[in-house]
This record gives sequence, structure tokens and C-alpha cells, in this order.
Amino acid sequence: MSASLRVRDPSPRATDGEIAAINLQSARRRAWTRFAQNPCAPGVAEAILENERLAVEFLGDYQALDRLAVVASQLSCQEASSRAALIEAEVAAVAHRFNSALAHLERAALLQAPMEDIARHRLTIDQACGRHLDAVLAARRRLAASGRLDDLAPLGAVLADLGRIDEADATYRRALREYDGLSPFPLAWVCFQLGVLWGELAPEPNADRAADWFGRAIDYLPAYVKARVHLAEILAGHGQTRNAERLLRPALASGDPEVRWRLAEVLNAQGRFDEAKRELSAARALFEELLRKHQLAFADHAAEFFSGNGGDHALALEFARANLANRPTRRAFELVHAIAQAGRCGAETPA
Amino acid sequence: MSDHVDGPRSIGEPAADVTDLFAFTSPADPTRTVLAMCVFPSAGESAAFSNVIDYSIAVRRVSVAGLGEAARFQPAAEEAARLTFRFNVLERDASGRVIQRGVCRFADGRETPLTVNDEKGASTPEGDLRVFAGLRSDPFYLAWLAGDLSKVPNLLQHDNVLSMVAEFDTERMLGASQGSLFGAIAETVPAREGEGRVTHPVARVDWVGRPEQTNVRLNNPGLGRATDLRDLWNQQKPFEISADLQPLFLQRLKDSLLDWDLRDGEADWSPAALAANANIFLDDFLLFDVSKPITDDSHLEIEKSTLAGRPYQTGGGRTIDANVIDILFTWLVNRDRQFLQGGATGATKPGMTTFPYLAAPNTELQTVAETVELAAPPDAVWDVIGRFNIDWHPLIAGVRLVGEGPGQLRRIRTRDSAEIVERLESVEHAKRRYRYALVSGLPAAHYTGMIEARPNGGGCIAEWRVDYLADDQPDIAVKTRVSALLRTGLAYLNSRFGASR
Repeated sequence: MSASLRVRDPSPRATDGEIAAINLQSARRRAWTRFAQNPCAPGVAEAILENERLAVEFLGDYQALDRLAVVASQLSCQEASSRAALIEAEVAAVAHRFNSALAHLERAALLQAPMEDIARHRLTIDQACGRHLDAVLAARRRLAASGRLDDLAPLGAVLADLGRIDEADATYRRALREYDGLSPFPLAWVCFQLGVLWGELAPEPNADRAADWFGRAIDYLPAYVKARVHLAEILAGHGQTRNAERLLRPALASGDPEVRWRLAEVLNAQGRFDEAKRELSAARALFEELLRKHQLAFADHAAEFFSGNGGDHALALEFARANLANRPTRRAFELVHAIAQAGRCGAETPA
Repeated sequence: MSDHVDGPRSIGEPAADVTDLFAFTSPADPTRTVLAMCVFPSAGESAAFSNVIDYSIAVRRVSVAGLGEAARFQPAAEEAARLTFRFNVLERDASGRVIQRGVCRFADGRETPLTVNDEKGASTPEGDLRVFAGLRSDPFYLAWLAGDLSKVPNLLQHDNVLSMVAEFDTERMLGASQGSLFGAIAETVPAREGEGRVTHPVARVDWVGRPEQTNVRLNNPGLGRATDLRDLWNQQKPFEISADLQPLFLQRLKDSLLDWDLRDGEADWSPAALAANANIFLDDFLLFDVSKPITDDSHLEIEKSTLAGRPYQTGGGRTIDANVIDILFTWLVNRDRQFLQGGATGATKPGMTTFPYLAAPNTELQTVAETVELAAPPDAVWDVIGRFNIDWHPLIAGVRLVGEGPGQLRRIRTRDSAEIVERLESVEHAKRRYRYALVSGLPAAHYTGMIEARPNGGGCIAEWRVDYLADDQPDIAVKTRVSALLRTGLAYLNSRFGASR
């Protein structure tokens, strides 16, 4: 199946993923130096925001959320501008603090921020929260008329959220075909979304198909932590625990707790129980630290963790509910439902 | 700013973003010409070239096809020279150090392998061509805010770029005896071949001829919310702008040049002269004449003289140190009536007189920043930390102040008997903040500090930040010392005012 898919979907060429990741870190550090010299310099805070967002999304570098908070607070201290308010809104949205993001957008509007910027941010927040999805879909369709990957990929995402799997698949694949840039980040992201689509969102998941897309995402960007974690899950599910371990080990340095959690599962499956216990304990510690600072950003993952190997059903339900309250999407609701159901089943199971 | 950050594709892949192009006679050997291009604005120390881009400099012979208001430069149909740099994926040497190799190909089919950041560069066996690729200090400087033409310090201070330099035997490479006037462009083009990969849908990512075609002339901020034409421009084929789109670009250039002319409230350009100037800029290539002197001041002289209806006197071109932005603004705003000097007179580092001519990269400024949240109003904390004599700090044994206000010096004697001298740069009482700079006493350069108290609910946040470059000592040694100074100071504030809850 993988071979035939690859023939049907030739991969657009992009800069090698290792070079791109090094250049991202290089540009990120340089932007911080420029910010330290002059926080208000045109474009510098925006460059940091973009680079740190990529570091969170692709490299699993969650300390970026702390760094982004510094940008927002320093910039807002320096200037009471619509620009600062928009940056605060985006920083809040990256950390899934959507109500806070909307409040900053309202402030930005009062400070005469361009209406199209505000509308763009609101659209992203509405989509992330599963609100007004018909309007979001209509807006995304209008934007996707540009034919650019940047506009097609969010349309694919909203279609996926609405359960229109084939349409989402076609849209994502069109996004890949239409891509006219050279950065591997957008390509890796779309491949990852296709993996999630076929591995998790489709009514009848297709693990092989999902694995192929996750593999392509990693081909584009070897440092893509989430793609490694998802592919490792599939491999482990097929009993390929050694391959899964090989995928996860290079991602340990990222600090993403999910890497250690999945590694613990893989080690357990191999009968390496002591190592698994250590990894699980490390995962728990990492989750707890992240939740202390950025609960809303990790509530859904924490709910999954504590409802499984994390072994704290009540806590899992608490996080799942917090996630649902913050972003009432179908997936958030299903997560609460699944954890609640599991709790009932567990309670009904005879000792 | 020159050609930095001028389109979505180049912003998405900064290693494809062409920032500048240079053409000048080698200061070390007048029989040789140097062409150089830079990419990747604000590149960090570890920046690498993309492995899927052809980085090219193309040169065509040019003839003067009209004078005065009919001024025009006609490029030849064929290229006189093309140098293409291509780079590999990263490798690791025996010690695990990351290295990148590449190759420079010439139009005659020869090629020279090279290693990125090898200052010696690589030469052809015949020695007629020498090339370099690697990180260098950004030679461009911009010290204006283009919106209102207000002067500011260099906006690219301490920035680095990835650069490619080619120095060659002028006669052998260009055949200058057949005509000495040339036009050059630099471009980034998606590489053609690829295993199992689709052909890239765009012909090129970015290109540049004269500096500031995109960010100043086509995307003049003075034109308000006019449609951004930069990406459309970047898609054009150099030397052969689409005939269909030429009227669009020409009209934008005319509108833009008119706006620039009126920036000082005076009209220095007649409509006919302005239109002629727009026509010249529409043909965007960097003009240089290898038979005439190319100096730091000769940039645009060929265009200016031709527009004035007289033979040009210099080789035009663009040297590393040419103040191209001020030369351009002066030309556009007052037609050389009065030189417009921005807020900086040079780049972070001047160019070198020897290969590879572009100055060595700047070391990253290091930052030590500490904050503490205090249970006291900001004014109360500012009453203490706002005293430039820093007598509150536990590690300070004594301080002597010299002078008053900005420029004031403090001679600090620390408890370990070191003496540090610092100069007050600015005080902003309304923001409860002052800035200072190191004069002597620490092994650091470009050392600046800032301390402030800002509101935080009912309390405040005290922040102390120092930026510096280690000088003569390892960075960690300087960082340890600075960190100790800052942390001890803020710990004292914490004990004095209490931590906020």
C-alpha cells in the first residue's frame, strides 16, 4: 500500500529536514538576541512568535511556551499598541488560552488593529474551539480559493473536524500538490494531519495508510516529535516494538512527556519493566510540570495519559472536562465520554 | 531593507531569501572582479544553505541604448557568465562537527567543490576563479524608518548573512574587450533534479539586481495599502520582465518615485525625468563597468549620468562598504541636492581588502536576564533600584559617581576588590527604567545593561538584563560572573520587599 500511495502522491521537494531544523533554531536564537536589544524593533517579536510556534509544533519544545510568555509580557510593557495586543492574543492561542486570546483581540480592535488581522485570528480560534463550524467552513472555503497550501491545510482540518474524511483527504493532498515553497515544515504538517485523519479520525481507521503519512512527515522533518510518537504507536500496535523504540529514542531530548509515555509502553511490551517504570515516572513528572504552567495546552494529552498508564482516573476526567470547557470540539467531548465510560466500566468491574 | 524578507516563499525558507548583490573590482588585484550574493537575513551562527536551491549570479553584457529622458540600458540576449552554487545535506566530520559541502559551477561547465565557512575558499586548477561560501557579517546597513524617513541606529546591527563570493580574472571570464559594461543579478532557483520528486511549480524564489527594488521602490510604505507586488516581481525572469506585466510594474515605480520625491516637501524631479528614472529601475540589474573605477561612492553613477545625458565616469557597481541606502534615498528624495545621511555610517563591520572581502561573522550577543516578583509597589522598588550609585547591592563595596545625568560614570568597587566602570545611557523615570553600558572592568564588549521595575498586580516585577559579547575569555566565565551579580541583587530585593504571592 505504501508504494502505491507514493506513486500516486509524488512528494514535493523541500529543503532537507535537518538543515531546516538547524536554520529554525539559528533564526530563533538570533531573533531573541535582536529582541533583547530592542523589544519594539519592527518584525522581531513576530519573528520570535513564528519561530517559537514552529519549535512547539514540530520539535516538541514546550519551553517555547514560557519563552513566548516573556515576549508577550515584555512587549506589552514597552508599548500599548494594537501590535502588542495581537501578539499577546497569538501567544495565548498557542497555549490554548482561547478566552484570554479573544480578550486580547478585543483590545487590539479598540486599538485600531487591522480588521482582517483580527478576523484571521478569530477564525483560527473558532476553529480550534469547534465554534460556529459552518461559518468557519464557509470562510475557509473562501480563503482556499487562493490554492495555497497555507489556506488549503486549515480547510482540510475543519473538514476533518466535521468528519468529512474523503473531502479532507482530497483537500490535504491538493495542498501538497499546490505547495510552491521550499520549507519542509508545511509539508510535514500536512502529512502528519493526513496520518491523524486515517489513523484516528476516519470511522474505519487505516493504520497502514496512517503510518505511510506519518513516515512521510518524518522524511520531511526527522525532528518532528509528534509524527515519531504517532508512528511509534502504530508500529508498537503491530508488534514492531524495536522499530518503535528506535523512532522514540531520538525524540527523548525534546522534553515532550508523550515520548517517554509511549516509550514506557514499548518497553513494557518488550518485558523491560524496570526501564518502563522509570520512563513512566519521568513522563508523569514532565506532564505535571507542564500542567502546572500551561494546563489548557496539555489538558487533552494529560487526560489520555492519566486515564491510561498514568493511572489516575479522577484526574483524567478532571483534565478532560477542563479541555472540553476550553474548546468544546467533537474530539474533546468524545474524550470526556470515553473516560467517563471507562470509569463506569471500571467501577462495575468486580474486584 | 535591501532585498531582505521580501516575499512569502523567501520568508518561509530564509535560506532562499536573497538579501544583497555586490559587483566590484578586487581591492587586492585590479585585473580581477568580485561578485557576491547574500541570503538568509539575520542568520544565526549555525545557519546552513538549502540543499534544494541553485544560488546563481548571472551576468549579461549591457549597452547604453538611450540618453537623457530616453535613457535605457539594453542587456544582451545571452549571458556572459553564470556562477551557480549548490550545497549538499549536512555531514559530520570525525569529531562530530557539522559541515556542509557544496560546489560552484561555471557556465563553461567547470566546477569547483568547496566547504562552507572555509575562509580560504576554493580555486579552479587554473587559478582564474576563486570562490567562498559561508556565514559573514551582514554588509548592508539601514538606519532609517522608511515610513517617515526618521533616523534610527542600524536596524541590522550584529546581523549575519550566508554569503557566496566569486573572484575571477575579468578578461578571461567576461571577455571585457568586447564591451566593458555589464548587468548582474542574483537569484535563488529551486534545483531541477530530484529522485521521485515533482518539478517545483515556481521558477524562482527570489532575485535581486539593484538594492531596494522590492522593499523601497515597489513596496513603498508611503503608498499606504497599495497591493504588494513583491512576490509577483520575484517570479519574473531577470533581464526579461513579462511584457504583460511591465505596465503594472512601471506604473507602481512611477507612483513610488513620486512619493519619494515629495517626502521632503519639495519636487526635485520633473514628470519626464521621473518617468525616465522609473524606466531605468524597471530594468533591474546591477550595472558595473569593469574598465572604470568602482568605489564606495560610485553606486548608481552610471544610471545618474546617463539620465543626465552625459557619459558615465565610474564603474558604478556596488562595493561591500557602499552606503547604498543613503545614496538611493538622496537620489530619489532630492535628486542629489543634499546628501541624506541615515542614523549609521557603516555596517556592523567594514568589508575586508582581501578575499573573501565580506567581514567575519558577528558573534551572537549573549543575554543574562533575571526577574523577581515583589510584594511592593513599583515606585517603592524604583526608589531603591533607580539609584545609579547601586549602593543597595550586597556585592558592591563602594561606588564613586562622576558627572550627572546620561553620561554619568559609576566606578564600582566590588567586595572581591575588582573595579568596574559603567556609564549611564538613559533614564526613563516614567517607566522606572535606566540603561547603562560597560566602560571597563569585565572581559566583555558591547556590554549594555537595563534595570527596571514594572507593575504586576498590586506588586511589581523587577527585571535586570545584560547583553554582552565575551572578550578574551570564554563566554561561560563572563556569564557566571554577570549572573552572580544579577541574582545576588535581585535576591536582596526579594528579601527586602518580600516575594509576591
